[in-house]
Amino acid sequence: MRIAPTFHVAYRALRRNKMRSVLTALGIIIGVGAVIAMVGIGNGAKAQVEAQIASLGQNVILIFSGSTTSSGIRTGWGGAGTLKIEDAEAIRREVPSVIGVSEEVVSTTQAAAGNQNWFTRIFGESADYFDIRQWPLSDGAPFTPQDVRSANKVCVIGRTTATQIYGNENPIGQILRIKNVPFTITGVLTPKGLSPQGVDQDDIVVMPYTSAMKRVIGGTTLRNINVQIDDPAQIAPAQQQIISLLRQRHNIRPGRDDDFTVRTQQEIAEAATATSRVMTVLLGAIAGVSLVVGGIGIMNIMLVSVTERTREIGVRMAVGARGTDILTQFLIEAVTLSSVGGLIGIICGIGASSVLSIYAHWPTLISIGSIAIAFLFSAAVGVFFGFYPARKAAALDPIEALRYE
Amino acid sequence: MKNGALVRLVDVHKTYRTGEMEVPAVCGVSLEIKRGEFVALMGASGSGKSTLMNILGCLDRPTTGSYFLDAADVSGLNRDQLADVRNRKIGFVFQNFNLLPRTSARENAELPLIYGAHGLSHSQLCEKADRVLSSVGLAGREDHHSSQLSGGQQQRVAIARALINDPEMLLADEPTGNLDSRTSVEIMAIFQQLNERGITIVMVTHEQDIAAYAQRNVIMRDGVILDDHLVTQRFEAAAQIQQNGRARPEPARRGEGAPDTHVTM
Repeated sequence: MRIAPTFHVAYRALRRNKMRSVLTALGIIIGVGAVIAMVGIGNGAKAQVEAQIASLGQNVILIFSGSTTSSGIRTGWGGAGTLKIEDAEAIRREVPSVIGVSEEVVSTTQAAAGNQNWFTRIFGESADYFDIRQWPLSDGAPFTPQDVRSANKVCVIGRTTATQIYGNENPIGQILRIKNVPFTITGVLTPKGLSPQGVDQDDIVVMPYTSAMKRVIGGTTLRNINVQIDDPAQIAPAQQQIISLLRQRHNIRPGRDDDFTVRTQQEIAEAATATSRVMTVLLGAIAGVSLVVGGIGIMNIMLVSVTERTREIGVRMAVGARGTDILTQFLIEAVTLSSVGGLIGIICGIGASSVLSIYAHWPTLISIGSIAIAFLFSAAVGVFFGFYPARKAAALDPIEALRYE
Repeated sequence: MKNGALVRLVDVHKTYRTGEMEVPAVCGVSLEIKRGEFVALMGASGSGKSTLMNILGCLDRPTTGSYFLDAADVSGLNRDQLADVRNRKIGFVFQNFNLLPRTSARENAELPLIYGAHGLSHSQLCEKADRVLSSVGLAGREDHHSSQLSGGQQQRVAIARALINDPEMLLADEPTGNLDSRTSVEIMAIFQQLNERGITIVMVTHEQDIAAYAQRNVIMRDGVILDDHLVTQRFEAAAQIQQNGRARPEPARRGEGAPDTHVTM
């Protein structure tokens, strides 16, 4: 038997029961639509987190003072004040693959200019900072290594800070008073948007760390050190070199915990995306359940259909249909229901996630892969749940089937 | 094998097993039907005529004994092989027509062509179905669904479906059982004309009147053939229609055209 007429037969049978076919397919439409939308939301969140992690810079290792793993008192990252400026210089000097180091101190304080003032974050950094974080300026120029050495009163500000204090005015060359110290603004950073934690990264003032430590924040220890490595393959060796260098410098005996924490960008990215990955799997699984329920709906309707059309099956067998012809016919009906439902479901899912990203501002990401998987899965649902009813139809005895009332 | 024998049954038994009980339905039937014969298979209910019909139609296999159809032994074939034999050599006409519901006359008629390796295109299927439908007097009604057709018209669609594969044998199971007497005569006229064209017809009936349109009557009782004789005073359906048409000119039924029994295929 040829496949084309079987498709025709199956299509006609589905068309004869339009309402029932539509309702049966609806189960699959909802299932596939939910899978597409849910996985889209999860992937969107994950992609956003990944993009933000990537915005930390390339091949970056972060060294925080204090340790999250030490026993006894746990101070958290950046809390214990164990990192010295000399540590950063030692890393710059002794780890060969390092191409950039930025000593970092962080504070929040009020910044003022004219009659405007704004509560913002102050980052003290070295001149390498803008390269390490791959954060170019949109206007003006960054501060120089000379500014860092001399602890000059210069700074670079983020877009949000610029807007809040200067409005539409050009802030370059203006004076910004921080703790009553006048800083000259040399540049404005390109906007970066929200961080994974929801912090506005453009609400920032970046100045030489020397100036920050001497004039704004005080103190002699660094919160963390940002290190950039020349080659991704060198990240792991560099991480080890930094750990042993710092342990040596901090006189930590073997067997004792580090008083600092070294994290590669990779590790941070993995930790941050783990949550969204779990969310994607969870949402997808819940949606998958509705797809299975849709499949059971198909099986139910196909079983009813086989019983209802017993006489038809008998007639088809009497005029020469083999068992496999009947099996194919009913299987095609089931698969047509599920795959047409799947196609419509994909469209609905894409629509639903567009609506979510437009109106709820949730990031969604629908990949060709997830569409293909959803479609194949819906077709497989049709085969799986259609097989039993189809086999039941194919196994009917033609005499019994013809006599069926 | 004798020349011209289309059907040869040799000591055919069929026993149904219901639990412990063995119920014999056909107990040793030997029968020969020649090509071009028109046989009426008669008997009361429970006589085994339906079982014999199922065996003749390759819907069922004999428990013991042999069945030669067109010189080939079909008693040992499996389900799929029997399906192919039915498709190529046998056309069925049922008492309750057994048309597919909500399906046009054309699509019903072309049903056997879908199965088996015919390799016809969609337009060829339609053309062939339309030709055979017009040959049983249904030209112009190809697109009507079975619910829009009278009983007699539905049975003609069923005959068209049985004929579309040019079968060796037409098997009719009480073909007039659901029809009024006038329509029954029309169907018998079609059968007689098909038979004159050379198609072998085996018809199960319990009505003496209907059996009289056949050439030969085989009467069964309790699973064996009780009597097998040629019909001496055979009814001629076409002649009866002409007479009736003159005697009482009934108005044609709604939805049913004037009786057209001319077989032009």
